[in-house]
Amino acid sequence: MKEKTSRSIWEKITDNSAASVVIISTVVLALVTGLAAGPSQVINSIVTGGMWALLAVGLALVFGVMNVPHFAHGESFMVGAYVAYFVFSPIHQSLQESPNALLAAIAPFLAMLVAGVAGLILGVILERLLFYPLRVRTKSGWVMNAFLLTVGISFIMTNGTTLTLGPNFRGIPRYWDVEPLEFLGVRVAVDRVVAFFVAIASIVALWFFLRRTRTGRAIRAVSQDETGAQMMGINLNFIYPLTFALATALAAISGASLLFMFQAYPTVGLKPLYFAWYVVMMAGLGNVVGAIVGGFIVAVLQTATQQFVGIAWEDVIPTAVMIIVLLVVPSGIFGSEVKGVQEQ
Amino acid sequence: MLQLKNLDASYGFLQILWGVSLFVDEGESVGLVGPNGAGKTTTLRTIAGLLTPTGGEVSFKGQSMNHVPAYQTTRKGISYISEDLNLFVDMSVRENLLMGAYIVRDREKQLETLDFVYQLFPRLKERESQLAGTMSGGERKMLAIARGMMSSPQLLLVDEPSLGLAPHLVTDVFNSLQKLQEAGVTILLVEQRVNATLEITDRAYVLEHGRIAMEGPSSELVQDEHVKQAYLGI
Repeated sequence: MKEKTSRSIWEKITDNSAASVVIISTVVLALVTGLAAGPSQVINSIVTGGMWALLAVGLALVFGVMNVPHFAHGESFMVGAYVAYFVFSPIHQSLQESPNALLAAIAPFLAMLVAGVAGLILGVILERLLFYPLRVRTKSGWVMNAFLLTVGISFIMTNGTTLTLGPNFRGIPRYWDVEPLEFLGVRVAVDRVVAFFVAIASIVALWFFLRRTRTGRAIRAVSQDETGAQMMGINLNFIYPLTFALATALAAISGASLLFMFQAYPTVGLKPLYFAWYVVMMAGLGNVVGAIVGGFIVAVLQTATQQFVGIAWEDVIPTAVMIIVLLVVPSGIFGSEVKGVQEQ
Repeated sequence: MLQLKNLDASYGFLQILWGVSLFVDEGESVGLVGPNGAGKTTTLRTIAGLLTPTGGEVSFKGQSMNHVPAYQTTRKGISYISEDLNLFVDMSVRENLLMGAYIVRDREKQLETLDFVYQLFPRLKERESQLAGTMSGGERKMLAIARGMMSSPQLLLVDEPSLGLAPHLVTDVFNSLQKLQEAGVTILLVEQRVNATLEITDRAYVLEHGRIAMEGPSSELVQDEHVKQAYLGI
């Protein structure tokens, strides 16, 4: 008797006709863009895709585990950018006076690492300070309340930053002062290549953590059945701050590694936030795997729009596609496995 | 081992349990029967720590459990197998079972218990890598019971194991509960199938409208006129 046992991700995708249609058309679109505009646009999509994926994974995680529609995710990105700037600039300055090749090579990674740690700390503080009291008080209307809370956080953080650091742009032209790499006859800045690999490495690390470690499995258990997880002896007051901290750290790392593209200023997180939301809505709320694939789909759409329609339409086309996708498959391309938080 | 004294419990303003007192001794198998809406599930949820009692006391091994949250009651040795199972549907059978042993940090011990439950439920071993969400009702029920065993609990709270199952599967489930009991696990069983419950338990309580209406050895309750009329349809 042959039984269908566990389903691989690939089977999940091919089983799902909406997903296959979208993935195939994305690949075709990417190829067409590549042919029309040269491989540099394809590489561009891949790099941006990695970043949207990294941001969207955080959103999906927070929504999947805590049922929080996180609209302050962009501010975590902003904090990451600022932290990276304030770590990197002084080192960069001192390097001008006394060059040191090794320090120059690792300083950007140091900046990203510090940004990530700052994200972890910020995440724990926000969860303990805001979501925990809300959860203790009432669970009715949780999603709406949590949404309003994140909008409030976003508002306070952007304005607080303007107040303390001013509205000025703080950026760097590049992390590494080296020649661009040659790849398929295209010159790609080292910063972009590194940003892509940082995104991929973070996603792989997160994936490994969620699949292979005891605590990671506990996070997945909470997202699948909160009551069941408690019955297994899982402490939600440990899992929630941890999840929120992880998501915040991912966004901060993303902000740090893209500092050369997005300078640090109070509202820098807005655009990445919107794109990350396009991704999770299109892929299916709370679906972490979907968010990874979705990141690349949105990036290809964005690049194709820039190429064929014009950069001003960059937000319009992905939004339109998102609406169409949601009309056809309301739970997103890859579906959503999230259950409502008020199940009792 | 487990003792409830004048336990009150409510959902919001709606009080469900009114001064429920019962006890379960070590190694015993005790049934809690009664009609729909009597408060059987509420009783178990309160013991498991998913609901905080509004009055009275729950104590386990002499320790008050009134304000112990659910994740702590599991760590103290109480395992609750709920009516709606609360399986992790997107995890495999094996992953579900290992989640059941979340509080067991010793890997060797985890695998030992895993072997033990696979012996009890050979079907689960066959389905090891299948996703819990894709299994049939009977298999899910078995998985939930097996998962509840994985923390090596001292007390097992089982809620309506027969609910929604085909008759031959009910026999399977009851047989497996009996096996557990023979293996020395203390069980508090909530059921609507009064006859079958009274057959496999040592003692039983009848819960009606949130109050204990009757109690006694199962063999005596089977003979009772009220029980016969109200629950056994004789």
